[in-house]
Amino acid sequence: MVRRTGPRPAAYFNILMTILSCIHNTVAFQQVLKQPPQQLMFQWLQVADLNLSFAIEISPVSVGALELVTFISLLSQVYALGYLEKDWSISRFFGLMGFFEGALAGIAISDSLILSYALLEMLTLSTYLLVGFWYAQPLVVRASRDAFLTKRVGDIILLMGIVGLSSYGAGLTFSDLKVWSESIALPPLTEALLGLSLIAGPTGKCAQFPLNLWLDEAMEGPNPAGVMRNSVVVSMGAYVLIKLQPIFSLSPITSTALIMIGSLTAVGASLIAIAQVDIKRTLSHSTSAYLGLVFIAVGLGQVNIALSLLLTHAIAKALLFFSTGSIILSTNGQNITEMGGLWSRMPATTSAFVVGAASLVVILPMGFFRMMQQWLTGGWNMPLWLFVLLLFVNAASVINLTRIFRLVFLGSPQEKTRRAPEVQWLMALPMVTMTIAVLLFPLMPLKWSLWLSPIPSAVVFNQSSIPHAFPMMIAAGVIGFGIGWRMELRRALSRPTQFYLRLMQDLLAYDFYIDRIYEFTVVAVVRLASQFTTWLDQYIVDGLVNWVGKVTLLSGQGLKYGVSGQSQSYLLTIMVGISAILWLLLREDWPTIIDYWSTLWSTVLNQ
Amino acid sequence: MLSFLVWFPLGGVLLLGVWPKSMDPKYARSVALGVAIALLVWTIYLAFLFNPGQITMQFGEFVPWITAIGLNYHLALDGLSLPLLVLNSLLTLIAIWSTDPEIERPRFYYALMLLLNSSVAGAFLAQDILLFFLFYELEIIPLYFLIAIWGGARRGYAATKFLLYTAFSGIVLLASFLGIVWLSGASSFAYEPLRAIIVGAADTPSGLSLKLQLILMVGILIGFGIKIPFFPLHTWLPDAHVEASTPVSVLLAGVLLKLGTYGLLRYGVGLLPDAWVYLSPWLAVWAAISALYGTSCAILQQDMKKVVAYASIAHMAFILLAAAASTELSMIAAVCQMVSHGLISGLLFLLVGVVYKKTGSRDMFFLRGLLNPERGLPLIGSMMILGVMASAGIPGMVGFISEFLTFRGSFPIFPVQTLFCMLATGLTAVYFLLMINRVFFGRLPDELDHIPSVQWSDRLPAAVLVALIFLLGIQPSFIVRWSETQIAALIPYHPRPPQITSVYQPDQHLTRNSIDVLAQSISIRAAD
Repeated sequence: MVRRTGPRPAAYFNILMTILSCIHNTVAFQQVLKQPPQQLMFQWLQVADLNLSFAIEISPVSVGALELVTFISLLSQVYALGYLEKDWSISRFFGLMGFFEGALAGIAISDSLILSYALLEMLTLSTYLLVGFWYAQPLVVRASRDAFLTKRVGDIILLMGIVGLSSYGAGLTFSDLKVWSESIALPPLTEALLGLSLIAGPTGKCAQFPLNLWLDEAMEGPNPAGVMRNSVVVSMGAYVLIKLQPIFSLSPITSTALIMIGSLTAVGASLIAIAQVDIKRTLSHSTSAYLGLVFIAVGLGQVNIALSLLLTHAIAKALLFFSTGSIILSTNGQNITEMGGLWSRMPATTSAFVVGAASLVVILPMGFFRMMQQWLTGGWNMPLWLFVLLLFVNAASVINLTRIFRLVFLGSPQEKTRRAPEVQWLMALPMVTMTIAVLLFPLMPLKWSLWLSPIPSAVVFNQSSIPHAFPMMIAAGVIGFGIGWRMELRRALSRPTQFYLRLMQDLLAYDFYIDRIYEFTVVAVVRLASQFTTWLDQYIVDGLVNWVGKVTLLSGQGLKYGVSGQSQSYLLTIMVGISAILWLLLREDWPTIIDYWSTLWSTVLNQ
Repeated sequence: MLSFLVWFPLGGVLLLGVWPKSMDPKYARSVALGVAIALLVWTIYLAFLFNPGQITMQFGEFVPWITAIGLNYHLALDGLSLPLLVLNSLLTLIAIWSTDPEIERPRFYYALMLLLNSSVAGAFLAQDILLFFLFYELEIIPLYFLIAIWGGARRGYAATKFLLYTAFSGIVLLASFLGIVWLSGASSFAYEPLRAIIVGAADTPSGLSLKLQLILMVGILIGFGIKIPFFPLHTWLPDAHVEASTPVSVLLAGVLLKLGTYGLLRYGVGLLPDAWVYLSPWLAVWAAISALYGTSCAILQQDMKKVVAYASIAHMAFILLAAAASTELSMIAAVCQMVSHGLISGLLFLLVGVVYKKTGSRDMFFLRGLLNPERGLPLIGSMMILGVMASAGIPGMVGFISEFLTFRGSFPIFPVQTLFCMLATGLTAVYFLLMINRVFFGRLPDELDHIPSVQWSDRLPAAVLVALIFLLGIQPSFIVRWSETQIAALIPYHPRPPQITSVYQPDQHLTRNSIDVLAQSISIRAAD
């Protein structure tokens, strides 16, 4: 059967399994909503004073996250059937997707830090393999390597943090950690270091500065996996961060670091996104920017907001990427300056893009509109700088999405878009389903107890710490739309003639040259160190050993010429040797011996 | 019971030795395989009989030998030697299986393989330190010939280097062993009585003064440090690995290096506890240096085997770190790390061997695109990715849990050194990823268009190792439960005397005592 139909059955089987788990989750979700959270413990390893057990949490939040994972995974797998129709190793892709989904689902329900860490690492591995899916292309090889290594940096630091936490006597389930963090008093430096090390893992996963470049490069991988990566995977990194929040509140340095990282990424990535010409890359930078907001929210301790941000962003971004994938497949290109006029040719794709974009910004009453309303008027602490930052991110996001929309869908058709058809049903179906889901999302009952911290499950919409905050936010969106609409668009790859403008554009288009910075810092250090040790190994350590060997051999070589065959010379050598030994042995006794002989001699003479 | 493991392969050696020339030498392989299978079955049977809860040695066998100098034939088994014994039997079978059936001088080759197995098993089982030494020296001879006869182009150089190094290691060890026995006033070379004299009861001063122990410890460290090997005593290893044939590399990395760490635990930690604890901060520093050194050397290598060899140096250093910390957890971690390193490096060498056999090259700048599903080595490549990931410590495989236990066990005692070792773990991914990306990713060049197809017999041994790596990674208690009770007996002091822990404590609040206090206070609070 495999021979006749190709590797398709593997894909069907995987999709069937995902459908089953999706149905199961939906049923379970209905049940769980009515119940208090439960925890299941599985003893994994008990050795000496260390007890590693895996905890599974069954709560509305975890099952909800599970539902999200399986739903988006199901859609992107169906989508992949169409997208990878011509690909020859589709079964490998689906195998990896299954692995990917399993790890994600595990993180969703895991309630133990060590289990989450293990699953995050598996995520790193599966990202490596999925990004490297088309491993014959040099860019892909580089991208997969960078994705793995960047995430690995974060993961190792996270592991250091886990080892440290566990050594300080903390249990490794999240609830134990919460209890522990409330009862412990450690020196501030230690607390800060612990917190920082725990941030590092999610920083890598969520593509935050300075570990942000992998997500952009990872766009070389197949698009259905890109959908997962930009929506669910980054969310799961942040999900772990949210669960770790009690520890971050231990030290002000940690929360400050979170806010710094988040703000830097939010501003920087928003700017970078505007200067990109690759449709996937610009959207992936925008992912980093939104995840930056999540970091800020966690840093401020507003976990409910963080969770809500994650969810809203995940589904909107997934939809945008479905739409992007269709564009890429139909036009065989990713460069938005080469596109145009697609709106009439690809109506479903266009509507998906519009809906996704609209729910990612605050203009129309859709996803982020509701989200922001909650944040701004829900009685949360909102410092002024954060408000300004949010205004900026919103405006920049609107500008960028408008720019993309104009370049891709409006204007006159270009060479690549002239014959672009709408995608086939296998891709259209999940895309349209997702469009409907995103449209319906704002109607999701807010009374669902989807929140981590128990404070406000009833949402208040009249407590705002900044007057007129929400109208100002909408205004920022509208102004951004205006700028994006009026902005001069460059079709060709021409660069601005003004020096400063060009400098600015290059700086943004090349991601602030962060990869160069890596090149001259971390990479250079590792390279120099390895060059030094290799040199040391080859010439000093091994050289010394070989030198000793050579000297031994050479001295043997030299000595062999002493073998002359003349018995007199042998005799002489022996005599000289013996007398030397005797002289050395009797060194102390010479006076006595001389005395003895002289007395003997004198007695002989006297007689 | 135990003698079977030593004498049965020797019987095989004898059989192969007196094999009539008229008979087809192909049967030599079958004989060797048969012996190896019987040994593996017997080892597994022993493991089932083994009682993990018992603290003392098990299955003891005692035959007086040369009583005049206090040398007796005394074998016994405990939780430290059992996992290594299983590893030895398993990897010998795999090495014999993956030997080229058309190998030259098969009788001599297989006889040497069995001799190697026998002497290593003897060394792991010996309860008499002179007997251990005899087996330890005996193992050098077959290995020397295996490298010198069936090796690569520079085999003579590599084999001689190996021989000189290990012979030197043997001399220093012998000097230290004799010193330990004679200076402590023991009447024989028997291990347990010797340990009783030196370690004594917890509150009495030990039989050897700290100064003497330190002097003797130098010999032990150099001797086993060469075998393991640690920087800067390691230079024989990359050469030996590069020149040795694949099965010999598997055995060398998988089993023979473990003789060094085994010796360090049994004779270093076990017999010279005061010196060990005194030196342990510096040993941990040594471990960190060795790990980082091996790692950074591996990054620039061009030969796949050299990469794996330097990786081996880096990963063996973690065992020293764990042993230096010598908490209960870290000692168990050391055993886990030995097993995991044996399986993983064995797997990597096997796979590199298959690549070499099929393509005729191990050059990372020549090989490319081997993951190609039609004309490349896709399954071998996939297993290589798994092996590499296991070595880099991805959870779900045995590398992760043993490294995690190592770091978790050592961190409370030596936080800074542990962090540096973790850095080395992180960098593992760098050089292995470079290798995978260069060798397996990319486009298959035309020169590699006609790779002979891989047989199932090539894949089978690697597949077995992969299965074990997963099994033990998901269910690590399979290793831990064998050693848990008995390893605890090796720990020098429990708890450590504070004046020694305070000698080197970069983080003052992190002393073990304070952590114990913390743990207690937490449990009290929890109880309230």
